[in-house]
Amino acid sequence: MKLLKKEFRLCMHPVGYIMPLMSALILVPGYPYGVCCFYTTLVVFFICLTARENHDATYTLTLPVSRRDAVSARILFCTILEIIQIVLMGGMILIKYAIGTMPNPAGLDAGLAMIGEGLILFALFNLIFFPIYYGDINKPGKAFLIGSIAVFVWIIGEIIACYTVPFVQFVLDTADPLYMREKGLFTLGGAALFAAGTMMAVNRSAKKFEEADLAL
Amino acid sequence: MENNEKILLSVQGLEKNYPGFSLKGISFGLREGMITGFIGRNGAGKTTTINGILGFLRPDGGEVRYRGVPLTEDEQGIRAKIGFVSAGMTYYTRKTLKTITDVTKEFYPDWDEGAYRKYMQAFGLTEEKTPAELSNGMKIKYALALALSHGAELFILDEPTSGLDPISREELVEVFLRLKDEGKTILFSTHITSDLEKCADRILFIQRGTLMADEGLDEFREKYRIAEISGKPGEELQAAAKGLCRTREGATVLISREDAAKFEGREATLEEIMVHLEKEAEEA
Repeated sequence: MKLLKKEFRLCMHPVGYIMPLMSALILVPGYPYGVCCFYTTLVVFFICLTARENHDATYTLTLPVSRRDAVSARILFCTILEIIQIVLMGGMILIKYAIGTMPNPAGLDAGLAMIGEGLILFALFNLIFFPIYYGDINKPGKAFLIGSIAVFVWIIGEIIACYTVPFVQFVLDTADPLYMREKGLFTLGGAALFAAGTMMAVNRSAKKFEEADLAL
Repeated sequence: MENNEKILLSVQGLEKNYPGFSLKGISFGLREGMITGFIGRNGAGKTTTINGILGFLRPDGGEVRYRGVPLTEDEQGIRAKIGFVSAGMTYYTRKTLKTITDVTKEFYPDWDEGAYRKYMQAFGLTEEKTPAELSNGMKIKYALALALSHGAELFILDEPTSGLDPISREELVEVFLRLKDEGKTILFSTHITSDLEKCADRILFIQRGTLMADEGLDEFREKYRIAEISGKPGEELQAAAKGLCRTREGATVLISREDAAKFEGREATLEEIMVHLEKEAEEA
């Protein structure tokens, strides 16, 4: 908890307050809404970059804390930002329905399934970005590049699936409240993947960070 | 070691191998309540040794013990007793000292707010400033104030006086002496050896990853003398030389105290000893 507080007070990058507002892109017609989540992955990158510039690891490891706890706190901190993004996306979807929605030609329609897609996207990003980052905390750019490639492959794959995969095309990519049971299950699955992926990210990252030599 | 000298931290056979550099089985003990100077040229292994003590690197061999307890057994507890201060390291330069302190003190159950206020005032620090607004000397003092307030017993100082003007260096040396008076133990890594002459009790001298000396400062200095010559040294002096440096007039030669009478040797400064020994090692 103390480490989480430290993350918020010392490591938060100013864009962390702005990027979640990109959830408002849900209101834009004909937009690949998965990109909203990309902005939060960008915040994660900025946080890790700023941490490097501020010698955060050296500061943290002179405190009486374990390396594993330091890793867990950082990932939990970033996960909270991701969840805020998802919650805001949910809010924007409700607003969009209130003002009148229309089919989205650039991927999934704004709806419940979109939330599931975002959660899977974050699971994928966390699972790829953090273990690479904690292998060498001085190179967050490399981890972000590889994480971003995975994110965009997922977004593009989702757009293609909306035209080629019948379950996505005729069930997930429909206006709510059609197929709410299927969409709910998909989103629950996304939440489970998000939780499992993030926990795996913590374990893998902690293992790498435990073994890493940190140069002053 | 005298009976009343207790070892606070011991390093036994510390090894770390990098491509092109190895720390070769470093062993020493830091005596409680003393200032131990850690000297050696850049790249000799001072910072690598400190990284090993702080647990920043994973050594290939050896161990570090604090009051007899291996670092690996109680890394967090031991870290709470260590204050690390480095000139080249500044954390969160745009955050106010107040923010950094508020965050830091939460990690230390023994945080002494009274002591913190006292040291902040004594060092002339105000909490509204950010590290970016402080001089290098003031940054060091802030780091010391934090360490003193969380009850650190051991202060590891990595080049704390580098880049400071002589007045600021003098001020810091006085602070270190005050800490010693309070019973604190200090490992003071530097290549500004004149600072150590003013405050160190003991000396660790590291050369290319090997610890060459671990002894009292006076004993270390007493072992050597400097012979000043004009022109080239004769064969006898060359044979006795432990290091030779050219000067405008001729050369200075590091010799052992036993040879001092023969070659009219004078007392050697720590810097002269280090430079001559390094020169010799380089030429060898």
